[in-house]
Amino acid sequence: MLILQQLINGLMLGGLYVMVAVAFTLIIGMLNFLNFTIPALFMVAAMMMWATMTGNLPFGNETLLGVFGEANLWVAGVLIAIIVVSLASLVIERFTYRYMKAKYGDATEHALPLVSSLGFLIAFEHTVISAWGSDPLTVVSPFGDATFKIGSLLFSYPQVISLVLSLGIVFTLNYIIRRTKLGRALRSIAERPETATLMGVDVLRIVPIVYVITGLLCAISGVLFTINYTTVDAYIGDTVATVAIAGMVLGGLGNVWGAVIGGLMVGIIEVFSIYIVGADFVKVPIWGLLLIILIFKPTGLFGHSAIGKGKF
Amino acid sequence: MSGYLESQLIILCLSIIYAYGIFLPAASGQLNLGAAGFITLGAYASGWFNLSDGLGVSMPLSVVMAMLFTGAISFAIAFPILRTRGVYMVLATFAFAEVVSGLTINMEFLGAAAGMPVDDHAAVEIVVIAAIGVTLFSFYFMSTRLGLALRSIHDDESVSVLFGVNVRLAKVAAFTVGGMLMGLGGAMYGHHYNYIEAQAFNVLLSIYILLYVLLGGTQTAWGPLVGAIFFTVVPELIRNLAIEIGSDWLADSRFIFFGAFIVLMMVIRPEGVVTRTMQDRVASALAGRRKDTGEAE
Amino acid sequence: MSDNVLNITGIQKNFGGLKVIDDVSMDVRRGSRTALIGPNGAGKTTVFNLLTGVYPIDQGSIVLDGMEISQIPSQDRVIHGMSRSFQNIRLMPHLSTIENVMLGQHARARSLGNLMFPLGMLSKNKWRQEAEDALHNAGIGSYPGEVVANLPYGVQKRIEVVRALVSRPKLLLLDEPAAGLNEVETRQLQELLEQVSQSGVTILVVEHDMHFVRNLCDHVVVLNFGQKIFEGTPEEVHQNPAVLEAYLGREDSQPAKETSDAS
Repeated sequence: MLILQQLINGLMLGGLYVMVAVAFTLIIGMLNFLNFTIPALFMVAAMMMWATMTGNLPFGNETLLGVFGEANLWVAGVLIAIIVVSLASLVIERFTYRYMKAKYGDATEHALPLVSSLGFLIAFEHTVISAWGSDPLTVVSPFGDATFKIGSLLFSYPQVISLVLSLGIVFTLNYIIRRTKLGRALRSIAERPETATLMGVDVLRIVPIVYVITGLLCAISGVLFTINYTTVDAYIGDTVATVAIAGMVLGGLGNVWGAVIGGLMVGIIEVFSIYIVGADFVKVPIWGLLLIILIFKPTGLFGHSAIGKGKF
Repeated sequence: MSGYLESQLIILCLSIIYAYGIFLPAASGQLNLGAAGFITLGAYASGWFNLSDGLGVSMPLSVVMAMLFTGAISFAIAFPILRTRGVYMVLATFAFAEVVSGLTINMEFLGAAAGMPVDDHAAVEIVVIAAIGVTLFSFYFMSTRLGLALRSIHDDESVSVLFGVNVRLAKVAAFTVGGMLMGLGGAMYGHHYNYIEAQAFNVLLSIYILLYVLLGGTQTAWGPLVGAIFFTVVPELIRNLAIEIGSDWLADSRFIFFGAFIVLMMVIRPEGVVTRTMQDRVASALAGRRKDTGEAE
Repeated sequence: MSDNVLNITGIQKNFGGLKVIDDVSMDVRRGSRTALIGPNGAGKTTVFNLLTGVYPIDQGSIVLDGMEISQIPSQDRVIHGMSRSFQNIRLMPHLSTIENVMLGQHARARSLGNLMFPLGMLSKNKWRQEAEDALHNAGIGSYPGEVVANLPYGVQKRIEVVRALVSRPKLLLLDEPAAGLNEVETRQLQELLEQVSQSGVTILVVEHDMHFVRNLCDHVVVLNFGQKIFEGTPEEVHQNPAVLEAYLGREDSQPAKETSDAS
């Protein structure tokens, strides 16, 4: 029974990882680079949520309190997180895609967007530290500690809702990719970027949309993190969101379904690791597993091997 | 030398040593985002070899042993990791550093979360000499045919193969020697501060070092030197300026500018500050002025 | 020492389901200058890629100077005496001219001593001297202070040839060395290759410029759709109906080049 409870907890955590893993996998699949701004955006969204709910925004706190009321400040938090992250995504798009020019196609040139994303990560992290310091910050969950039981298994409402929401968003995303015109455009960019334009895809309009979609995934995940775990700090991008990378690799780079399964699996592995070897040691099984997968089966469980070959 | 200047010099020297460790594989196109892992190995290894409760060997010997130890591990993981490519390699090195971090924080004989004290002290002069030695070595290394092969691999791996370059071995060599240099850096850290904190070497350090190298330029051996100097000196200059003019905001924001600078560099001058062309033109200009003939070579 | 420096027998290459090279056989006589021609897509560069080991052959054999090399990995074929230049210039953009040429020496300099010798620091070493001499003989300067990416196209093409030459090949494979060159450059290239041939190196060149082929080569092999359809002297090739048909009744070279006889 205890095992089953851990499994449940793992799935809940995995639900958060799923969205971040999908964000990573979308950018890798379509634009061929490892986007380190994703952990940063996750953290920014979580911090925006905290700041809104605790009245720590640089301005407008009273207005929001007046409009939403204390009990519903979390709604404002969600909106603000989404707006901030979307705007940031558009800026990031310009400097990791639109303004980049490849000259020789040699080995490190493809790392340019990766490096740029690291620059953004540093800038965002330090902006947050400048504003609110680097210590952990807490927020009171708007939903209290609502839990329910099925048999002897404990579920918390916020976590279940997060899981359902995560999966729902990803299913919708997947539907969009498979069944809509936008999705077709996305897939043609992913498969053959050079000819996508020839096929009538307005790449310069579509790519920002991809960035915003991945930004939204990070934003929602970050907001859910704040609600569920109630403690945030400037480093949760590094400590929490980067673990989702393992989920992406497990599922196979560029594979959205793979990222879903990978994200859930990583959540479960993490919870079980903490249970078995303690929280201090948890880095080793997760990153060790990632290292082994990368060496022996880099395509992951379901993935494509073409992506990442000689490219970033 | 004042205490402040001396502490800055140490940080600069360590950064230079770490940077060259990342530079050697980067020159052939292998991006290592796991510097912290190799530095950690070197620091703890030398510390423990030297510790009277450990192996108890003298400092010079413990440092050399630490370098060999780090080199051996680099060599062992180089083969599997270098089978990965591009983004996979970045991730694999990143994962490696996280595994090292997770393991060392739990090893009791290394002090676990309390960190590890280190017996013998390495004075400033030793650290500076180590940094100079590493720099000279790296210039030498890149001037050899192996260095030429690495730079060819960076530009065009398939053609390099066709002219007989053993790409696999060259990359492993660069990765291994780079690992040894980082091990040396870690050992210097441990012996100078005489204490290794549990999470002294983290993800941010790995990121920063890789950034120094890429922003300095991977085409010549000047790049990591310029990168390390620029990025350890400039933030300090800004911080001092901020204190002078009494602006707290400026002091706190220097890393925000650092991040923004990186983003701009990638768009404006992605090859880094020091390029091959720049090195050659400077060298030609200097040579021309010395010869003082108006004739181009 | 056999008459032929290269024997290709029945080689075949499929990509996916497509037979890209179909049962091609040819012998290249030692010291000869052979052209490999054919319409675009005929498989000429693919043959070069198979010879140098970029792709493995599916069937057949490749014998270089009496040695079967089809199982030898790419990086080891150059030491057996075969090197090449490329259709699209593939010099190392961030290396200097001398360094690009010195890459060609790599196969001869693989000992540990040679690998760790500080080439860049001691400027008067034998490898550097050899590279400079090779460039000088080809009529190219060493362009100090420039990376090759900034040099004129024609010069880069010739540097590629020099790079291939310093590996001291028995067989030199040149992939469209005259493409994009003007008349003067083409003549210089021709003179260089005649010199090379006289020194005993066998030349196999893929070309579209039939004028160049006629001036330089004594033997021509024609490919179409991955198959050999004819071989003979340049005159015979010019008159053969199957060849003319393959090219859709016309040669690929410009009429202007036809009439002005540069040699």
